[in-house]
Amino acid sequence: MIHARIDGHAVSSICHPSLTGQKIVLCTPIDETGDAIGSPIAAVDPLGAGLHARVFITTDGQFTQGAVGDDTSPVRNQVIGLID
Amino acid sequence: MKPGKVVGKVTLHQADPAFRGARWLMVAPMGESELTGQNPGGISSEWSPVVYDNLGAGDGDTILYVEGSEATQPFDRPIPLDAISVAIIDSHEFATPTQS
Repeated sequence: MIHARIDGHAVSSICHPSLTGQKIVLCTPIDETGDAIGSPIAAVDPLGAGLHARVFITTDGQFTQGAVGDDTSPVRNQVIGLID
Repeated sequence: MKPGKVVGKVTLHQADPAFRGARWLMVAPMGESELTGQNPGGISSEWSPVVYDNLGAGDGDTILYVEGSEATQPFDRPIPLDAISVAIIDSHEFATPTQS
């Protein structure tokens, strides 16, 4: 799982059918002190995390396909935990 | 899924038969400076992957692409592919806490 911070969101009208209606957030992977340690990644966000919230992101395709309910979906990253 | 800017197209003369009718895009991954607009050229220093595309993204479009074995999920046949576009981004906002 990736420890990341939500730094933005993206809006897409032309996308893979499994992504329609999903909220797409742009996140920066961070270390424990909060410094960025990588280039931004996009993730599907069913939990509705707020801006600059610290979250856990999974990179497991199988889990994400189950969540979007489409096993032919190439989507891979999804927010699975909001860190207090 | 990573954000990337389409910077070109690739046409294959000879290709694996699984890639019949495939459309390939040259994509420059977008880092923080590209997403926030500090680098308007949008070309980051990372290497540019060639991404399979069937959404119809063109030059200058911002897309989300997926790398890895998940890229072969939409196909029902074995295909030697590891990057596919999943969304064309209409608009995005990005600001790290120090900038917002």
